[in-house]
Amino acid sequence: MRSFLQIKIKGRGLWYVCTMLVMGIVITCCSIQNFTVDQPDTAVVGSNVDFKVHFKFSNIFADRTENFVFGFLVPKGWDAAHNTKIKYTSTAGNGNLVLMPNTTLEPQGNGLNWPASMKKKFGIGGNLIDDMEWVVYQSDVGFPLSNGEAITADLTISVKVGADGNNTLCKLGYVIAESYDGLKDPDSFLDGGEKYEYYAETITSCFQLTGGPGDVVDFCNPQLSSYDPPKTLDNDFFTITYDGNVATTPLNNAAAVYLCATGNTSDGKSITVCEQTAKTKLTQTAAGSNRYKITLWPHQFFGLSDAQTLTNMTYYITDASGSTRVGYGNTTAPFVYTFKCK
Amino acid sequence: MKQLYKQTKTKWLLLFFAVVAFASCKVEHLTPAKESVKDISGDWVVISATRNGTDLMSLVDFSQFKLSFKDGKYTLVNRLPFLVSKDGSYSLDDPQYPFKISFTATGSPAVATAFTYPIVNGVRQLTLTFSPGCPNNTYVYTFKKAN
Repeated sequence: MRSFLQIKIKGRGLWYVCTMLVMGIVITCCSIQNFTVDQPDTAVVGSNVDFKVHFKFSNIFADRTENFVFGFLVPKGWDAAHNTKIKYTSTAGNGNLVLMPNTTLEPQGNGLNWPASMKKKFGIGGNLIDDMEWVVYQSDVGFPLSNGEAITADLTISVKVGADGNNTLCKLGYVIAESYDGLKDPDSFLDGGEKYEYYAETITSCFQLTGGPGDVVDFCNPQLSSYDPPKTLDNDFFTITYDGNVATTPLNNAAAVYLCATGNTSDGKSITVCEQTAKTKLTQTAAGSNRYKITLWPHQFFGLSDAQTLTNMTYYITDASGSTRVGYGNTTAPFVYTFKCK
Repeated sequence: MKQLYKQTKTKWLLLFFAVVAFASCKVEHLTPAKESVKDISGDWVVISATRNGTDLMSLVDFSQFKLSFKDGKYTLVNRLPFLVSKDGSYSLDDPQYPFKISFTATGSPAVATAFTYPIVNGVRQLTLTFSPGCPNNTYVYTFKKAN
């Protein structure tokens, strides 16, 4: 009689070999390790700022030539694609990063290109205004990698920040990946049980621009007043939301809240609309929400002629009497909104 | 003998009727129907409006806004943000198979947009997409003929 134990041991050995073979076929590439980002906390609008990224690119099991990929989450107003130069130094050579073509599909993206896939996977990095974009680059050359090889690289991302002139506060995002595997989620059974990362992603704490001619635009912190869309002209429909939950304001127990605004025109006029009527009343978004909104057509709201346009408006939120007012940051200074597209 | 004659007569009668039946079939000559010219004359009101994909109907009162077409001219009544801000003339790129509609406000160059003119639940709708303010803000208005 054959020993049952004998058969079992043979089977186990075969199973182990088969598993290793299958793993060898399925496993593609590389692990991103030692990923660090070095950026300042603040910068002056219009200055050149260097953001530094360090990572190690390890290749196990596969012989393949790949580009490494870098994704950068920045405010759209920076026009980063036209205001950024990225150099890299690495153990496999030095060079520049180039913009990833919009036609290149992200390997795990189900038909999306790299920026769209990053936006879908990582959102807008916890920023509270949806006016951010992922700008994606790749190394100018492919790196031929062989089984067991590793590359260590440093990126220097030089950006002329704040092209829109705004004193923006925002969280920046960084992603490192490679062109073959893309944004593939970690495999948990590789390399002796150690998690294998095909990409690495981090969002920084709030980065602040100062000294610019534009508005303070805060993507990091909940705001008493926010705008949809974020960028409009006076001929757009423009929705202002006042969120009374953000801070305890003098309007806390107001039965109704109203817009009290002054529009400043391109021909130097100021038109004030500060009545507490149906025209200026904000509507609560849901009963008890303490969030209120109003949608205006600014050109009509301020009674402009066809020849006039609005450059900006300053405003307060008031109660029904008009005497209790809330301004920017819960102060007596008004909120300011500039009508511009970039 | 009589039996045989009767069978033959029956066969010939059946054949006769078959021939008559086929001969009576009228051959139908199919001529392609001529595509109608698209006539959008009349008053149109907004039944749905979005801005960057989000609903505008719940935020803005569109009930007073009217777009009227007559004799090659259009007028805006109680106007709201739209492709054009003043009255003027309009045209379709092809009267039978229009893909584009152009609006020329008096004193301004023409602006064009895709002409989407489907039949929905038996009724014509007109859908126009445009950016009245910042180019990145996209508005879609769907109109129906006012009663």
